[in-house]
Amino acid sequence: MERVGSMREMEYDIVIIGSGAGGGVAAKELAPLCADGVRIAVFEWGAKLRDDEFSGREVDMASKLFFDSGGTFTKDRTMTLAYGRAYGGSTVIYTGTSLTMPKDVVEEWGVPGLEFADLHRRSMKYFEENNVHLLPEEDINDNNRLFLVGCRKLGFNVEQFPINVKGCRGSSLCNLGCPNQAKLGTDRVQLPKAEALGVEVITNCRVTNIGDRVCEAVVADPGYGDPSKWEPGEYRVRAKVVVVCAGGVVNSPGLLLRSGFADRLPMLGRSITLHPALILVGEHVDPITNFHGFPKSYYCDQFMKRDRFLLETCMYFPFVTAKNLIGFGAEHSELMRAFPRLQMILVLALDPAVPENRVTLDAHGGLVIDYTLTEPVLDSLHASMLESTRVFFAAGARRVHAPAGTNFFIDAADSDRVDQLIPRANVKPGKISVTSAHLMGGCAMGRDVSDSVTNGWGRVHDIPWLYVADSSLFPQCSEVNPYVTVMALADRVAEGIRNNAGELLS
Amino acid sequence: MKSLSQEKAEFLQVLAARIVPETTELDAAGLGRFFGIVDEALMDRPVAVRRQFGTFLGVLRWLPAIRYGQPFEKLPFDRQDGVLAWFEDCPVSLLRKGFWGLKAMVFMGYYGQPETNQAVGYAPEVDGKGGLHA
Repeated sequence: MERVGSMREMEYDIVIIGSGAGGGVAAKELAPLCADGVRIAVFEWGAKLRDDEFSGREVDMASKLFFDSGGTFTKDRTMTLAYGRAYGGSTVIYTGTSLTMPKDVVEEWGVPGLEFADLHRRSMKYFEENNVHLLPEEDINDNNRLFLVGCRKLGFNVEQFPINVKGCRGSSLCNLGCPNQAKLGTDRVQLPKAEALGVEVITNCRVTNIGDRVCEAVVADPGYGDPSKWEPGEYRVRAKVVVVCAGGVVNSPGLLLRSGFADRLPMLGRSITLHPALILVGEHVDPITNFHGFPKSYYCDQFMKRDRFLLETCMYFPFVTAKNLIGFGAEHSELMRAFPRLQMILVLALDPAVPENRVTLDAHGGLVIDYTLTEPVLDSLHASMLESTRVFFAAGARRVHAPAGTNFFIDAADSDRVDQLIPRANVKPGKISVTSAHLMGGCAMGRDVSDSVTNGWGRVHDIPWLYVADSSLFPQCSEVNPYVTVMALADRVAEGIRNNAGELLS
Repeated sequence: MKSLSQEKAEFLQVLAARIVPETTELDAAGLGRFFGIVDEALMDRPVAVRRQFGTFLGVLRWLPAIRYGQPFEKLPFDRQDGVLAWFEDCPVSLLRKGFWGLKAMVFMGYYGQPETNQAVGYAPEVDGKGGLHA
């Protein structure tokens, strides 16, 4: 290591920015090159928490594992985004539900050279690697079982989520980081493998700029987790061969925008999609098991094509639940105090990719997520409230709280008037809580700079040393939970780099 | 609090009592935790956001004076609730969003305390399967 002024100088062959589903897989797939003397570093903004630091405490874990504690605002403040910042990125705080992209969606993406068969084969590789399987029926709690009952009674198609756990003890705390280390994210699978082969993972390390095969980074001490392998301070890191951006939908395009790539890449940051989500709640007469057991076991795809939404089971924590309810005061408290009797459904709207929805910079270089909920998406959210309410009642709920309801509670006796009691006019952005945990796009794959940022192998157009390997590659939303697709794409990006290794490393 | 003046913090407590009535039952330690969580959340936000939050509290306090001749805290409780309900459903989206942010802060301050989990019956366990099959 050399020191020039206050900035320390480092040198690697390959630098990977981000350690989540994309960066972690890219690191593991490129790690065998270390045996040939190739030096690889992964820079992760977040910390590597010790096992005993996964406390399950909502606010504590949110502040340690999420950007902005899981509440990053969009520019117009009608949505908040939750995305991870840790050794393992968002794989530390996802639920681990593992789905492959439908064939028709891959075809709609229309990325030259990206075939469904290839993506599916790679997805299956990560099913195997991450121990993806179905939970046995006896481990499924009432919250999930009631969703199945309600959907089936209504004739809706329901599927069980394959999940990537090993030794799951059913803490229900997946989204706060598994306290049992049972969820097989990149922090448990791909990164340790990469490190064993010689990849260096530098935590608490924020990359601030990318130049021509050089990165500037700052290492800080957040006061928790294992110390970074590098001392706090500023670093200038030469990447002799390639830089792989895998910082996610906000930070990959954001970093490239800050680094001045916008002039060469007019689509940079554009066409992000978010799967805008609602958390809905039904109250049962008797306690159900909801915060004991795995939180997310089923989804309903009945309305994907017609109304453009997906229903999933979910179980959240008191603060997240509270802020997703409309209203305040006595009624709100009454519902919160019914926590052990609450059934929850997560709605995901399948939003279109429009260039105006984008990551951009403000006048001071700050990141801005400029995303507008379009009328069709609001229609989807409205339709999802109607159908979810029907599912709750079909499952036996005594009353339901719908964010766009005319009253705080809809009683079971009024279940045949759901359409009147949840008017479309009440779906008001800024009033109802809309969140996103599936961020996609911003460095889309495609044909050339006129329609995209990278080619179908994640290589940035006309910049041969720069790659992207995360969900920002998605040209449109995935219509399913995206992490397996991110891994499959990162696997492909790594293969592209390996195939070019002779040329790149010479 | 580092993020809000004493006056604003006191007004936030008035609002919290209407948004989560149980905040009035918090002891000194609980209130300390409430303000600690809110303060940390606000301090993590950009200065502009903190400033906007403080401004919104001012709007909420004094806007009722135009209609009722008194600031928010002098109104009877049912009228206070009416004012809050108007803000939540306000035709001006900026005010709706401001109220959403206020609610989020109050909910975080109260429900974000592990000590209040018991009050709502939330008691997850590391070995949740034990509870599932109990």
